[in-house]
Amino acid sequence: MSSAELTPPEAARWTARAGLPLPDDRHAAVAATAGHIHSVVSVLRELDFGDTPPAGAYRAGKEKRDAAV
Amino acid sequence: MQPYELTLADAAQQIRARRLSPVELVDSVLERIDQVDPHVGAYVAVTAEQARGAAREAEQEAARGMFRGPLHGVPAGLKDLIDVAGSPTSASSRVRAGHRAGADSTVAARLRAAGSVLVGKTHTHEFAYGLTTPQTGNAWDRGRVAGGSSGGSAVAVAAGAATFALGTDTGGSIRVPAALNGVVGLKPTYGLVPRHGVTSLSWSLDHVGPVTRTVEDAALVLNVLAGHDPRDPASLDTSAVDHRPEREPDLAGVRVGVPRNYYFDHVDAEVETAVRRGIAQLETLGVHLVEIDIPMTRYIHATQWGLMVPEATAYHEGTLRTVPELYQADVRILLEAGELMGAGDYLRAQRSRTLMQEEWARVLEKVDVIAAPTVPMTAVKAGQESVTWSDGSTEAVSDAYVRLSSPANITGVPALSVPVGHDTAGMPIGMQLLGRPFGERQLLRVGHAYERTQSARSLAPAA
Repeated sequence: MSSAELTPPEAARWTARAGLPLPDDRHAAVAATAGHIHSVVSVLRELDFGDTPPAGAYRAGKEKRDAAV
Repeated sequence: MQPYELTLADAAQQIRARRLSPVELVDSVLERIDQVDPHVGAYVAVTAEQARGAAREAEQEAARGMFRGPLHGVPAGLKDLIDVAGSPTSASSRVRAGHRAGADSTVAARLRAAGSVLVGKTHTHEFAYGLTTPQTGNAWDRGRVAGGSSGGSAVAVAAGAATFALGTDTGGSIRVPAALNGVVGLKPTYGLVPRHGVTSLSWSLDHVGPVTRTVEDAALVLNVLAGHDPRDPASLDTSAVDHRPEREPDLAGVRVGVPRNYYFDHVDAEVETAVRRGIAQLETLGVHLVEIDIPMTRYIHATQWGLMVPEATAYHEGTLRTVPELYQADVRILLEAGELMGAGDYLRAQRSRTLMQEEWARVLEKVDVIAAPTVPMTAVKAGQESVTWSDGSTEAVSDAYVRLSSPANITGVPALSVPVGHDTAGMPIGMQLLGRPFGERQLLRVGHAYERTQSARSLAPAA
């Protein structure tokens, strides 16, 4: 386990801080799954984003909500 | 030929000519459901009485000379993430026990207005968070996976238990089961088909689209589904397009990109052979093949997960805290672990998506369509969790199934899966065609032209 990976008690602490208290018997499995997700997603840290903005739609002003069929 | 065996286009033609009654067609499909669904488990619920009532109304309208269009009187199955007024939207989950939709989703309302008859709700991998749909058996071999998450929709269409169906696609969930069951699946451009009233897995990746027996049928359904609805904030106000391909599309001059990297790496040899044969067939139709390089492949998996994992966890925030024990184990653990992903990772995924969209747009300036496998292998046996490739590396089955389809979810480009044969075990193989944003018409033209060169496909045995 690398130093960046969460231990089961750390996973429990951080999920609790996020508002999700976990039963004791789930700490290890959640830590392991979170570790796997982290190993996949952390590859994005290699990218040089420069001024690249995040994708995402945002429009000021509200459209009329009358379209259906 | 029984009415349940008809394609949508053929059924529409016969209904229009008054050679087939919507009542006969719906009864035939309902009988077929009775015959095959006990074996394959495609449906969560079949609404036979309502369907018969709607079919009688469609028949009465036809008797008065009123036809709403090609979907008039044609039976459809809807993935059970799609709201139908008065019916539960179960998401194939115990979490949704007692649910009842108060109103139709936009797509259900549009289908009804077009005269389609809703025969039932089809199984999804729980809340669409998976690639196998374990409740449902493959239409060609029920001991193998249906694929997912729109497994019920694909199996129903493949088996003749629906003339067409709707699915949703967040990383490949229309195209994967379509490929594994030998039917056509279309993930439209992000924003083309409104998702109002459809349970979300991941807002920035979710799409709704058709599962059909032919490419022409997919175009007929897309014509009804597409169009702006401001109740979906991603819905775009685009001009109306008739997506139906001409009868004999002329593909001369169409540039088809064949990926040099990624799409043929770690792909089963029989799948590669069938897809390359399909591409060669396109060349005989006059397309110009162009070798292309897929950009940023190292970041596809990371970007897909960086977007999907926290968005799914956010959607389920309430019920994960109140009734976590009602989720299936595989879904619950992903939702819980998603609480541990930081905003920095999510924003990196969103910024990576921006870069990927730009890079893909450059590729799609050089070619009109990209042709590739839909999935790297055919349907695996139920319960198989990993696949070992010829170089000795192993990959989780769900990671493998989503690998070739998720780029279209990240970038939003349209993608179509078309059957291109079977492997030696008899399992279907799919070829994926990807196009420019809002380039569905070109995709459907190419897919239809290919399909015209093949003999008509038979229904899956499903028994």
